[in-house]
Amino acid sequence: MDINIILTCLIFLPVIVGFLGCLLPNKFFFVGVFTLLINSFLSLFGLLNGFNNSFTLINQGGILLSFDEFSLPLIFGTSVVFLITFSLRRKYFSHYFYQISLVLCSALSICFISKDLISIYIALELTGFCAFLLIADKNTDKSLFQSFQYLIGGGLAMLIYLIGVIQAFTYTGSFALDDLSLAPSTALCLIVAGLLTKSGIFLCGIWVPNIYTNASIQTSSILSGCVTCAGIAPISRMSQILIPISNSMIVIGVLSAILAAILAIFETDDGRTLGWSSVSQLGISILSPSYACLYVMQHGICKCLLFNTHNDNSDEKISNQRGTNDISILYCQDLIRLITFIIASLSITGFPFIAGFTTKTLLKYDLPPSAQLIVSTSALLTSAIYVKLIISNLNRFRRTYYKKIPSISIRSFISNDNFIFILCIILLISSSFLRSDLLKSIYFTNSLSALFIGGIFYLCVMGIEKNIESSNIRKTIDIIGAPFIVAAFLLANLTYFKL
Amino acid sequence: MNLGSEFTRYILFVPLVTLIIIGCYGLINSKNIFNALFSLDVIDTATISLFVLIAASSGMQTPITGLERYSNYADPYPQAIILTAIVIGFATQALLSAIALRLSRNNPLLRFRDMED
Repeated sequence: MDINIILTCLIFLPVIVGFLGCLLPNKFFFVGVFTLLINSFLSLFGLLNGFNNSFTLINQGGILLSFDEFSLPLIFGTSVVFLITFSLRRKYFSHYFYQISLVLCSALSICFISKDLISIYIALELTGFCAFLLIADKNTDKSLFQSFQYLIGGGLAMLIYLIGVIQAFTYTGSFALDDLSLAPSTALCLIVAGLLTKSGIFLCGIWVPNIYTNASIQTSSILSGCVTCAGIAPISRMSQILIPISNSMIVIGVLSAILAAILAIFETDDGRTLGWSSVSQLGISILSPSYACLYVMQHGICKCLLFNTHNDNSDEKISNQRGTNDISILYCQDLIRLITFIIASLSITGFPFIAGFTTKTLLKYDLPPSAQLIVSTSALLTSAIYVKLIISNLNRFRRTYYKKIPSISIRSFISNDNFIFILCIILLISSSFLRSDLLKSIYFTNSLSALFIGGIFYLCVMGIEKNIESSNIRKTIDIIGAPFIVAAFLLANLTYFKL
Repeated sequence: MNLGSEFTRYILFVPLVTLIIIGCYGLINSKNIFNALFSLDVIDTATISLFVLIAASSGMQTPITGLERYSNYADPYPQAIILTAIVIGFATQALLSAIALRLSRNNPLLRFRDMED
């Protein structure tokens, strides 16, 4: 059989399993997990072997699909994020949650692999609908209103994108991404503004922190892990073939990385801090088109772990759904959660011998020297954010088990959640050895000093955050107006400033 | 009517661009959920009409081959694609209406001011 048909079938398999799962939910759950496992293994295998295959589905004028270094890491990251969420939070799923997640998985994969504008449009809209349903799943007034804001902002962004697409079509005569070099700059900036809104980069991405706090934990881990990656693959494909776009992306990425990180430091709520930090990390990722996807993959997996281990689960404490009252088992679970939280935080800050170190070093030394300074600054701010989060989590852990540390036996460590957390930690640490040429002392000192100075920086500003009234951007008009502002800025940059 | 001439095409663009601007104005200035929903639909309609107009720039006849009396066809590619966008726009409206219905239980006036804090 043709390899192209097999690859396409693998991409569409989760949708089929998702729809069949509506009929027989319990049986198809495990089939869904199995498909995700297949997807993750194959994409990892392809990624490590440098698999590269682009083809046109159906004959001439069909859909351009491409499995390459842009799409494979993102497919792997998406599958892993879904696997982690499925295995850790299955108890809390409502009856249609995993079916929508599987449809979302396929929509995201199509978004990553397609190379023509209309397929990207349809996949992004499908992603938006699924994300909307997942946010509304919590069914409180707040989350419903947030999902309304997300859908109306996303819908407007996609309409802006469509106007850009039709304008590009009048000049190029095709919808392929590669032909965009003939398109006028107005069309380009409308298309990029739509994509930036979907991927949640600063100014367009102010919906991110609101939604992460108001959605349920499984939803926010899926959203942070993979939905925000949706726009990254098309943006990095575009900035690799279009020099003016890649220059503008550096400006927007720097703004996003620095401003969102500063907002994150002065935020009092931990969930919102994680949201702003997500915006900042996505901003860093679009600086370099060739390593953006790897960086986003690592960030997504770590963010998913952070949301799952972030121990502020009031719903768990109220209903006591952990299934046991034995204090030693609870203590072990919390201990493992704390360790995972710290490891994932350190990975995002770029601590040596963890996955984040590799991607961060690759991204940093791919940039021109003037931009490396900015990556170092944002790394410093990122370390400040995560020092803050680690300190707050450590304090919470210490308060819970103050003077009542139970005796631990090996038996109390054995549980499904702990097993998955330990597996994730091992994977995060071992993946840093894949690129052993990066394990040099100069890179180590760089990242360690950033971490150290970031920690000191946080200690300096620790008192200030209580006094500053946190900027609550919660209005709908901000979400609606942001794409216009970004499009106008991009147009000005492409035509006059040429930064 | 001949759409080929540049002047006619520019004249026909004017109402569509006006419609997009009206929609954006409405969306930014709307004080309750229903107005925002309608404004989004106005922009949606304007975008779809824009696609149809650009597809018709080469000619207005139905693109069916084998009939010799037709000489100038409309471009079928954007028209085929905009069908998907019409369906997606409809789906968005349906989902937004459903959410508005659900929100109206606690906020019957559906004002943004009551729901944002």
